[in-house]
Amino acid sequence: MSDERDEPTLEQRIERPGRRIGDRYVRIVRPPEFRRGRGGTYVATPEALAPRTGSGRFYDSLRRLVFGRPLTSESEGAERLSKKTGLGVLASDNISSSAYATEEAMRILALAGASALALTMPVAIAIAVVLAVVVLSQTQVIRTYPGGGGSYAVAKGELGMAAGVVVASALLLDYVLTVAVSIAAGVAAIGSFVPAVYDDRVVWGLALIALLAVGNLRGIREAGIIFSAPTYVYLVAMAGMLAYGIARVVLGDVPAAAAPPTPFSGGATEALTVFLILRAFASGSVALTGAEAVANGTPSLKPPEARNGVITVLLMGTFFGTIFLGITFLATRIGALPDVHEAETLNSVLTRSLVGVGPYYYLVQVSTAVLLILAANTGFTGFPRLASVLADDRFMPRQFAFRGERLAFSTGIVALAVVAAVVLVAFGGSVTALIPLYTIGVFLAFTLAQSGLLRRWYRRRERGWQARMVLNGVGATATGVTLVVVATTKFTHGAWIVLLVLPLLVLLLFSINKHYRSVADALTVEDLDEELPRSEPPLVVVPVARLDRAALRALAFASSMSPDVRAVHIATSEASAAEFRLRWDRWLGKRVAADREIRLDLIQSPFRALLQPLLRYIDRISEQEPGPVTVLLAEYVPRRWWEFILHSQTALRLKAALLFRPDTVVIDVPYHFRSDLDVRPRRSATAGNGAKVPRGGPPT
Amino acid sequence: MAYKLILVPLAGSAVDPDVVRLAVTIAKPSKAQIVGVHVIEVRWNMALDAVLEAELDKGETLLAAAAAVAQQAGGHMDTELLQAREASAAIIDTARERGADLVLMGMPYRKRLGRVSVGRTVEEVYLGAPCAVLAYRQEEPG
Repeated sequence: MSDERDEPTLEQRIERPGRRIGDRYVRIVRPPEFRRGRGGTYVATPEALAPRTGSGRFYDSLRRLVFGRPLTSESEGAERLSKKTGLGVLASDNISSSAYATEEAMRILALAGASALALTMPVAIAIAVVLAVVVLSQTQVIRTYPGGGGSYAVAKGELGMAAGVVVASALLLDYVLTVAVSIAAGVAAIGSFVPAVYDDRVVWGLALIALLAVGNLRGIREAGIIFSAPTYVYLVAMAGMLAYGIARVVLGDVPAAAAPPTPFSGGATEALTVFLILRAFASGSVALTGAEAVANGTPSLKPPEARNGVITVLLMGTFFGTIFLGITFLATRIGALPDVHEAETLNSVLTRSLVGVGPYYYLVQVSTAVLLILAANTGFTGFPRLASVLADDRFMPRQFAFRGERLAFSTGIVALAVVAAVVLVAFGGSVTALIPLYTIGVFLAFTLAQSGLLRRWYRRRERGWQARMVLNGVGATATGVTLVVVATTKFTHGAWIVLLVLPLLVLLLFSINKHYRSVADALTVEDLDEELPRSEPPLVVVPVARLDRAALRALAFASSMSPDVRAVHIATSEASAAEFRLRWDRWLGKRVAADREIRLDLIQSPFRALLQPLLRYIDRISEQEPGPVTVLLAEYVPRRWWEFILHSQTALRLKAALLFRPDTVVIDVPYHFRSDLDVRPRRSATAGNGAKVPRGGPPT
Repeated sequence: MAYKLILVPLAGSAVDPDVVRLAVTIAKPSKAQIVGVHVIEVRWNMALDAVLEAELDKGETLLAAAAAVAQQAGGHMDTELLQAREASAAIIDTARERGADLVLMGMPYRKRLGRVSVGRTVEEVYLGAPCAVLAYRQEEPG
């Protein structure tokens, strides 16, 4: 049985006679901009988005070229990542850290002289142990929260909203730094074999951030193969190099270390203290960044998501640990040293030492650079998603929750690109300068997430809770200790910035939430049976600059909505006021609507100011008449954009001035100039309310 | 032969995509306009212009799918939704009114009593259309 409804508003049904009697048929004429959706709704078609003007079409085609054509909401979610692509996409950030983690630890130890570099391997092992704990803890996060959200979801769910916001703030900062550090490291990797890049590394970094931002605005996040391929190329290239290097070391054929342009001298500038070793550990801990990406992105994996997420994170930890320890082992055995000015990476020096400058060297360097740059994309995936979740929870501006035409969270992507670019410029594109800021956020997030899970197991006491408590307890302790170490040892080297910005960001998020809650309290309709509020016809003020067609239309419209209409004219002199009065009486007078009188208030402004007397007039009028005042503006709209500069646009300025005035309704009555209709003089025409109004005089 | 307007009646059957692709192929050399038309048959106990939600939904969906097929094939197809007592009469009258020079109809492979069934609508359009009619029968399912 078909269900019948009333004829929808946007459809026309035109009955046509048929060839034969009884062959009548009905054409259902639908507007091209809308098609009928399910359940009696309309769906906007691409035609609804099509611009109407030439300049609009030009801008639109330009936008399509850069960002691509719009995607429908249904296009989302069609693609899920397999374990293979998932590893490539979600683990790229963590795995790429192996390109600079060893070097950052060595740079600190080198301050105590060449002999201190022997401690690099023990420091790397300590970091690998923490990584193992973190990876195992992450498997718990994935199993418990397979819906994604990672540490934010855990902290919010188990420790409350305040902890969730702290974690979210820490992660937001870390995503910014992920972009800045990965891009800086990627440029450094390129600079190792193209020295010209080193001189303009900030410019190159900015260009790459812009490229990633545009790519993400196009929605490249979905292109799993593009993002997973560099990870595998890097893994294969590094595996080959490490296997070759270790084989040579085992066989006793240890190659001589190649020298970077400016190697560390070997002399000590600082004493080898526990603090310095801890600082090296803190710098190397940058290796753990990106370990949370799999837990955040679990929903994008194919089902069973949790199982695939656990396998992916375990593979990630294994691959990363192998490469990190392998690089550290070879660098220390060969005696490779980092460059003082970061002109060449340790990775490059090590590769040169082992295989020389040949095709394999370029394979390793190019794959490292590409991976690092794509690892920055983890920030572009994570930041906008987290910001949208926070916006949904009313902790960030609503704009962060809106998806653009390409289904990307455009505001988050642009905001991240801008902030990361500022950070990159501020730190001169130096990886070493940026590292002290990094990792605090991620370790804070890890610690709170592990503590949250600890609390969960203790409260719920589900099957196997003791073992889980031990695992997450060790995880919370390990990451907590690392957090303290990182914060203290790097404090004066830049960590203070994060420790200052983080609480400010938390405060900002809470202030935003407070604002939204107060707005919601004021606006929410709690009872849907509530009747529409009764509204009396308003007092309408119509500023009239000239008695022209635009003013006539506005006055006619005003008198159609209220019996209480006040026309107000600001005259610059007594003579012009008298002239206006004369024209008013002669031309318009009381004839706009026979049954409604329009009062005219004439104000002389000897100082020729227009806006201020008008605003004060509105103030006084609204004092006399309680309730909202309606200001109706007649606005002449030129045909071409450049004609705007030929008009004073007083209405526009008045609108801006009234924007924040309480209890004020501003109505704009545009008058569009059409030469074919308006230039010909006419004797009379019909106004908006159907009343006959006199016409005449030239258009303004 | 150069065509200006090709009318493609669509009923939402499995043969629709083939017919649309064929229409695009025929239309390309002469840059003919393609109009896909779906007729909702209204029973006699209802008003001819009754709003039939389910049928409209189905019609819109199949027309949108056909337009997408045309786009994928490198062409463009306008769509028309009609309501009539009999689909064949509405198709014939629309072809006449719009000055179509070809009606391209699809016939899903169906058998009745051991013989391939042409279908009443195809037969009546074939006999009554003022312009050329091309019927495309779906291949026998393997």
